[in-house]
Amino acid sequence: MDALIEGPQVQVRFVTQQRQYAIPETAIQTPARLRRYGLSQIINLVLQNEGETQRPFDFLIDGEFLRTSLAEYLEEKGMSTENVLTIEYVESMLPPTPLSSYEHDDWVSAVQAHPAGGFLTGSYDNHVRLWNKQAECTQILTGHSGAIKAVQWLTSDGDSGSILSGALDRSILAWEYNLSDNSHSVLYECRGHTGGVESIALNATGDQFASGSADATIKIWTTVIPTVSDHIEEVTETRKKRKTVKEDRILKAPIATLSVHTGPVSAVVFNPISQETLYSGGWDHSVRVWDIENNVNTTTKNCEKVVHCLDYSQHAGLLASGHADPVIRLWDPRTEDSSVVKQTLSGHQNWVTSVSWSPSSSYMLASGSYDGQIKVWDIRAKGALYTLSHGKGSKKVFSIDWSNDILLSGGEDNQMKIHKMQDMASHDDA
Amino acid sequence: MPISRKKAAKPAPAPAPAKKAVAPKSKKRTVQEAQRDESDDEFGQVAIDMNSDDEEDMDGDDESDDAEADEFPEDDAEEGQDMSAADIEEDEDEEDEDSEGSYMDGDSLVDSQEENDDDEELEEDDEEGSDFDDLINGGDIDPNFGHNLNEPLAPESDYNPIKREYPEIDPIYDSDSSTEENENTVGNIPMHWYDDYPHIGYDVDGKKIMRPATGDELDKFLSTMDDPDSWLSAHNYKEGQDIKLTSEELEIIRRLEGNRIPDADYNPYEDQVEFFTSKTEIMPLSAAPEPKRRFIPSKHEAKRIMKIVRAIRDGRIVPRKSGYVPPKPKYYNLWNDAEDKPREEHVMHITAPKMKLPTHDESYNPPAEYLPTEQEIQEWNELDKEDRPKNYLPQKYNALRNVPGYGQFIQERFERCLDLYLAPRVRKNRLNIDPESLIPKLPSPRDLQPFPTRMAIEYLGHEGRVRSISVDPSGLWLASGSEDKTVRVWEVATGRCMATYVVDELVTSVSWGPNKEVAVLAVACGYKVGLILPEKLFSPELTLHSEEYLKAGFANVSSTEANAKAQWKQPTPAEFDQGVRVWVHLQKPVKQVTWHRKGDYFATVAPDANNSAVLIHQLTKHQTQQPFKKTKGAVQRVMFHPSKPMFFVATQRYVRQYNLQRQELVKTMMTGVQWISSLDVHPAGDNLIIGSYDKRLCWFDLDLSSKPYKTLRYHAQAIRSVAYHKRYPLFASCADDGNVQIFHGMVYNDLLQNPLIVPVKILKNVHQRVQALGALCVEWHPTQPWLISSGADHTIKLFS
Repeated sequence: MDALIEGPQVQVRFVTQQRQYAIPETAIQTPARLRRYGLSQIINLVLQNEGETQRPFDFLIDGEFLRTSLAEYLEEKGMSTENVLTIEYVESMLPPTPLSSYEHDDWVSAVQAHPAGGFLTGSYDNHVRLWNKQAECTQILTGHSGAIKAVQWLTSDGDSGSILSGALDRSILAWEYNLSDNSHSVLYECRGHTGGVESIALNATGDQFASGSADATIKIWTTVIPTVSDHIEEVTETRKKRKTVKEDRILKAPIATLSVHTGPVSAVVFNPISQETLYSGGWDHSVRVWDIENNVNTTTKNCEKVVHCLDYSQHAGLLASGHADPVIRLWDPRTEDSSVVKQTLSGHQNWVTSVSWSPSSSYMLASGSYDGQIKVWDIRAKGALYTLSHGKGSKKVFSIDWSNDILLSGGEDNQMKIHKMQDMASHDDA
Repeated sequence: MPISRKKAAKPAPAPAPAKKAVAPKSKKRTVQEAQRDESDDEFGQVAIDMNSDDEEDMDGDDESDDAEADEFPEDDAEEGQDMSAADIEEDEDEEDEDSEGSYMDGDSLVDSQEENDDDEELEEDDEEGSDFDDLINGGDIDPNFGHNLNEPLAPESDYNPIKREYPEIDPIYDSDSSTEENENTVGNIPMHWYDDYPHIGYDVDGKKIMRPATGDELDKFLSTMDDPDSWLSAHNYKEGQDIKLTSEELEIIRRLEGNRIPDADYNPYEDQVEFFTSKTEIMPLSAAPEPKRRFIPSKHEAKRIMKIVRAIRDGRIVPRKSGYVPPKPKYYNLWNDAEDKPREEHVMHITAPKMKLPTHDESYNPPAEYLPTEQEIQEWNELDKEDRPKNYLPQKYNALRNVPGYGQFIQERFERCLDLYLAPRVRKNRLNIDPESLIPKLPSPRDLQPFPTRMAIEYLGHEGRVRSISVDPSGLWLASGSEDKTVRVWEVATGRCMATYVVDELVTSVSWGPNKEVAVLAVACGYKVGLILPEKLFSPELTLHSEEYLKAGFANVSSTEANAKAQWKQPTPAEFDQGVRVWVHLQKPVKQVTWHRKGDYFATVAPDANNSAVLIHQLTKHQTQQPFKKTKGAVQRVMFHPSKPMFFVATQRYVRQYNLQRQELVKTMMTGVQWISSLDVHPAGDNLIIGSYDKRLCWFDLDLSSKPYKTLRYHAQAIRSVAYHKRYPLFASCADDGNVQIFHGMVYNDLLQNPLIVPVKILKNVHQRVQALGALCVEWHPTQPWLISSGADHTIKLFS
């Protein structure tokens, strides 16, 4: 305690929104030289946490993480040391720990984890792979004739379920699988895109899904399993084509086609709360908001870079986008302004190809980039919280998915990597 | 009376004694007097009977005779003295007057006469006259002559050479001789003309004056004997009477005979009156009123002025300009210290630089650390005098009194003086221009975004130099042709190799067909050009359409065989399975293949094939044309115009623009480079860039000139490839030094505005140099500001 008394003192008041860690809101004299660790010790001291129960805390002043000593912070901001400083503290997020990585035969271009367990990966070897909770490859779904670019869980109840996969062969396949008898089959084939399918998004109720394609269109499909093929204008197949195409697939036609984008559509994402709202981003540098019910493009936001990926957080109410530059942009989709970026997060070295919000926190998101790194961000902090290396060297990361306490990533190094994340559900009750 | 006349002619206060003061005038006066004596014949008429003097001589007046005899030599001596004194004095004025007197006849006389009245003025006149003479004879013009001209000139009448002088009238009652009766008016004639007449003349009334009765000689003798005063009488021939002379008159005659001054009362040796003395006179010398002629314009001067006027008219004298004001002389008190302020410095004044103050080491007793070591002394001595940093060596003396005199003092003073006065005292006006302001204002590269700045994706897989790359019109696929005899197609966004086509020759050029409806990749390898249909990458509809498009020409068999320059051939089944649909066989190795914008025609360049170096092939008909019967020079590159039926052909040094419809040469661009390596046409079609092996990149404005609009030399080695972006105002070049340079090249719709070229980014060492080759090809993404480059290090890189 003697160490705490030395040097200049600052009066601080600690507040928190995490009730389990609340302490009395009285002003405390603390040395100005203290940094995050010192302040964290004070909180633990007050909470009488010792040993194993000690928790690391992060400290926010005016909504910004404290990354320097108190004295430096005050000097930087030009604030007086006489006033009482109100510091909000939150429990620190523990660094993600790499759990395991799984070798594929080719580049892993799409990953998705199911909240209930189980992972889905799509690869450049045209196969979709199913992994169970124990991270064993249970199924390899073969049927696409092009590299898989997007995978999406439809349903999953333990051993059986259904999934969607989009590929460069311009088709989306709906699969059903049964792990108990180790069988899988194509439910239907969604045909209509003339370019590779880049992205698939399922709405919250699960009755519709949207797909974005390199042919600059977004198509909306239902998840209803048809019994007969919809009538699709078939082109006269060439001799070679006829050989490869499976004849027995049930074909499905889109219920709507949104073709306002002027470049390949690289990302679509549904708003999980509002059923009718779809967000899309494409190579025409635009992030568009769609009203699915009326099939109209309600808002368009433009930046100067190709949009590679999008994710929407229902907690933060923000859209995060990754671009053909090292910057992650955060958008407020509700504003009408066409080019106002709410916030930018920079720290990557190359294109950001995948972003994923934390499923539980309104501040946390993860991003994967072509520089081979996965970064975990708290949008209140200036830089990235944690930087994870996806694999050896700086192989590209194509896809990441943050589901509960699991962060999946797939990349050029043929690996699907799993990181154990701290569950952030308890962090903020906001 | 003649006597009184004679008297009057004499100057009353004759200043003869004042010879030193007015020597020239007195001399002149003597000359004049002599003349007058000669001309005066009054005395001639006075016949003095001297014959009867003998007695009287004996009787009396010895004194006077003696006096005369005494006086004559005195006079002579005086005269001689005068002359000698004048000669000895040798006054300049005297000489001038002398000479004037000798050769100036009339004037001199007049002058001398005038002198009687006003000496000073005349002298001035004379001087003026000489001045004018000089002036008119071409002498220097006295700047003040105009000033002098203002003085009034004497009237010309004054210069009349013969001037009658009337005797002064003594204003007493009987002084008027005219009142005397019987005055003969015949004048000055020989009286013997009247000898035969009873009269001797006429009086003023015209009546004859009868000859008075005269006795014979005896009577005369008797009367003389009777009259004791007869010897005193003189005969007046005009009157014909004897006149008895008074004693005064006799005295005058006697004095005249003695060559003495007739007036006995006149003292020629009066005391000198000092007119001009050191004493300042208060009163004027003369109270005489100003003579009238001073107020009358002088005719003589008028004459002289006319002379000058004529000279001015003739241009012999150039007068001053009107309005000339002679400068007022400035006078200042040289010795007044109180008012002596330092004068304002001249504009060009440069103060002498101050001498440096002595420092420690110039002290007589410097601190030890200033004293040089032996080595330093030696070095100092070895140095040339001019090279020495200081012209002295610090030395130490125990006391100031031991310090010797400084030997170099005078030398140094002298050199400093030399420095100061030899210094060019020229104030150099240094240009006060900020060099930055002279640089043309270019926008900051930051404002010209977007342009590629960093590498994003690397496309790895080739095992040979990647000679050529091409991005398909949709922007999703990248084709590359390599020297490893393969053509690869890559997914642009991920860097994934999607297809590999193996050919049997080095691939020199690849090019996607620009038609979005037809997916075809033209590949130049060896002696042939292959048209590849990459099946899986495109939708079945597009693939099918492309296949039909490519095959359609095979129906046109006849033309294929007719043209020996190029043969269209079916691929082998194996090649067909791979994707090759058509082979076009040429006679020489193909270096470049490029498409027309519509995707039906493509042109090939085979530089070795002389006249058939450039061939244009039609895809739908499988036909080949030879656009040029003769090609000038080795063709390097060809290019179709992006919108017009124009065709660009780049030979080694020139770029020619042809109109394909009219089949004529439109323009020849003089590049000024040694060897063109690459060519690209701006998507708007009015500008083109070339790269050359001599490191230059030239921008041509086709509307502007046949010379380069801009020549950029930023590469250290030969430029291999240049490319325009189709949408963004960007162009890039790559070179053997492995660098890729990106420029902002804005072309404005306004024809008057020149294109704006700004270098925005140099991507350094993009490709490693392998066997002196670096970056080989650059290509822009058709829709995004992404640059793709390929190099000799087998890699392809995308920059965003």
